[in-house]
Amino acid sequence: MASSGPDGVVSATGARQIRHEKWTIEPVRVGLLARAREFWRYRRILWFFASRRIKERYESTTLGMFWLFARPLLPIVLSSAIFGLMLGIKSDGVPYFLFFLTGSSCWRLFERSVIAATRSLEQSRGLIKKVYFPRLVAPIASVAPSFIEFAIMVGLTLVVGGFYYYRDGDSHLRLGFLVLLAPVAAGLAILLALAVGFWTSVFQVRHRDVQLSLRYVLQFWLYATPVIYAHTAIPERFRFLASLNPMTGVVELYKWSLLGVGDFPGRALVPSIAITLTIFVTGAAFFNRAESAAVDRL
Amino acid sequence: MDSLVVEGLGKCYSLAGESEQTVQRSLWQRLRSPFGGRANVEKGRDFWALRDASFRVEPGTVLGVIGPNGAGKSTLLQILARVITPTTGRVVGQGRVVSLLELGAGFDPDLSARENILMNAAILGVTRSEAQRRIPEILAFAEVEQFEASPLKHYSSGMYLRLAFSVVINMNPRILLADEILAVGDAAFQERCQQKVAELAREGLTVLFVSHDMDAILRICNRVIWLHSGKVRREGDPEEVVDDYQNAIWSQHDIASSERGRRSNRFAEILAVRLVSATGKDLGGAPSSEDVFVKVRIRTTKSKLLLRCAMDLSTKGQLIFRATDEHVRELPEAGDYEALAKIPRNLLAEQPYVVNISCTFRRADETKEYPLVIYNALSFLAYATQAAGAPSSGRLQRLGFIAPQLEWIVQKEAGIGV
Repeated sequence: MASSGPDGVVSATGARQIRHEKWTIEPVRVGLLARAREFWRYRRILWFFASRRIKERYESTTLGMFWLFARPLLPIVLSSAIFGLMLGIKSDGVPYFLFFLTGSSCWRLFERSVIAATRSLEQSRGLIKKVYFPRLVAPIASVAPSFIEFAIMVGLTLVVGGFYYYRDGDSHLRLGFLVLLAPVAAGLAILLALAVGFWTSVFQVRHRDVQLSLRYVLQFWLYATPVIYAHTAIPERFRFLASLNPMTGVVELYKWSLLGVGDFPGRALVPSIAITLTIFVTGAAFFNRAESAAVDRL
Repeated sequence: MDSLVVEGLGKCYSLAGESEQTVQRSLWQRLRSPFGGRANVEKGRDFWALRDASFRVEPGTVLGVIGPNGAGKSTLLQILARVITPTTGRVVGQGRVVSLLELGAGFDPDLSARENILMNAAILGVTRSEAQRRIPEILAFAEVEQFEASPLKHYSSGMYLRLAFSVVINMNPRILLADEILAVGDAAFQERCQQKVAELAREGLTVLFVSHDMDAILRICNRVIWLHSGKVRREGDPEEVVDDYQNAIWSQHDIASSERGRRSNRFAEILAVRLVSATGKDLGGAPSSEDVFVKVRIRTTKSKLLLRCAMDLSTKGQLIFRATDEHVRELPEAGDYEALAKIPRNLLAEQPYVVNISCTFRRADETKEYPLVIYNALSFLAYATQAAGAPSSGRLQRLGFIAPQLEWIVQKEAGIGV
């Protein structure tokens, strides 16, 4: 080869400098902390996986951009027409469409992420069976497309806010630094989705029923979360019960930071964060322990 | 200092049928031992793909791993590649492990060569800057510089293979895991691969090469281990081990218990199924420009038997054809027989194929038939031997299940018609 001269020099000196790391493969399972460190070393492949997932979703659709907007928007327009116009559900003084749009963007971020994370092991089957990478990458990367969808919903929210400002002189959107709590709420939604996904993705490998029942569960979960109705519509004595649903606090925080109506949802948020973190940590531990047995069955 | 130490390595699969495994049952198991392995449940139905394998490899060794189908060769490689977790034992090694186990594994057909190199670098833990620096080298070795920006789905399988090899070999590996793939592809590239492997081995690269192709094993390995039923049966000098192995193959049953089907009945038994060349040598892959034979070895214990053989050839889960012997053969006396089915040259595409074998016996004085069937009796990769040219226009996946060479006639119309 023509390049063998300089090439040889580089690799010869390189070889001397590189310390060849010692490794062990054992049946003993890797602890969660060690796994987290390993995950960090592999973090770059997260981007490749995520972009792959996003591409898969929209490639070979002729109306790629159209679906990007239509998929989330159409159901929201329809639902808010039914719930807001026909049923006249109260929305804390905010136009129902805007109210429902904010609530369901946060909810959809969660819902789409749970569904994607649940299928993640199955979906990356080809790669998982052939090359090694921390399997935690699969569920985490799988939530990327829902993030894109979420970003679009945020854009829509701003447009709708602009429309109300133009029409009524009031955008109904909060302007100020407290808006920064909205990304925190989105982060919590993703965290909770992953927490659930860590469990469901492993079970899904063995029991396809998981995916089927998940749709029902999410449907009920939506009704238990103040997306269609306002949190204030829940009778006082059921408030505590409602706050045991971790999504209540998350959705409330998101709506509060964007719309700025009502009080800071601290009472719902504390159990929400506690439950989310608990499921997340136990879920990650479970995934870490059960993943290799699941991969054998994949 | 050994570069790889394998101690008592084992992998156990539970053979409990997926269908029998109801939700209730496995939930119950989970409650009893929430995170426990499955090894302690359903003891009788466990299958050890690899059991108590121990060996050491010094740096610079090109270790051939041979053995019949189901002996645990791929399991061993998968464990070393960390794709599956062992049930027992441990492996201690040093340095980066790369694997070349399936054409295009870890490649994204929608990304360009350049992006795929970066992705593989990330998977192998190579820093981005180092990967960037190596890209020209990798493309040059694979001879795909002109196509660096086109998505891999437009590559021919030869280009795919060259790129795959070039990527893993240029990531400064200390251990390379390879299977038949190292011995396929066009002759010129094979030559360069083997030179490169030998060159890196001198610098301390350890290679584990799994193959059914004894010629390739003898050509590139300087040590060989022979796996049988998940255990190391012999290890040592290539010539000796390969000799022993080849003698043993034909004199015993080597169809692993993992394979489904019915292998023997009261008066006959299928001993072995092999892919062999016209000269009778064992093959690991089928060069598409040569005739190859599926050879079935049968032992009968009764005289006056009638036999009809058939084979199914499938790829990617699709049955391509079933070929049944047009004659019913008479096996006048008890003994060992061999049945050969010729797969003619220029028929197979560059695909992995799987062969099922069935031998239907009938006693001369009975009408009842006794079929023996072996599913997945043989799996092999067919490969083109001429150098691959420019990118094919379609996806790799659309190459077709077979690629027969047809006779074309192009002529000037005579005016009268044919």
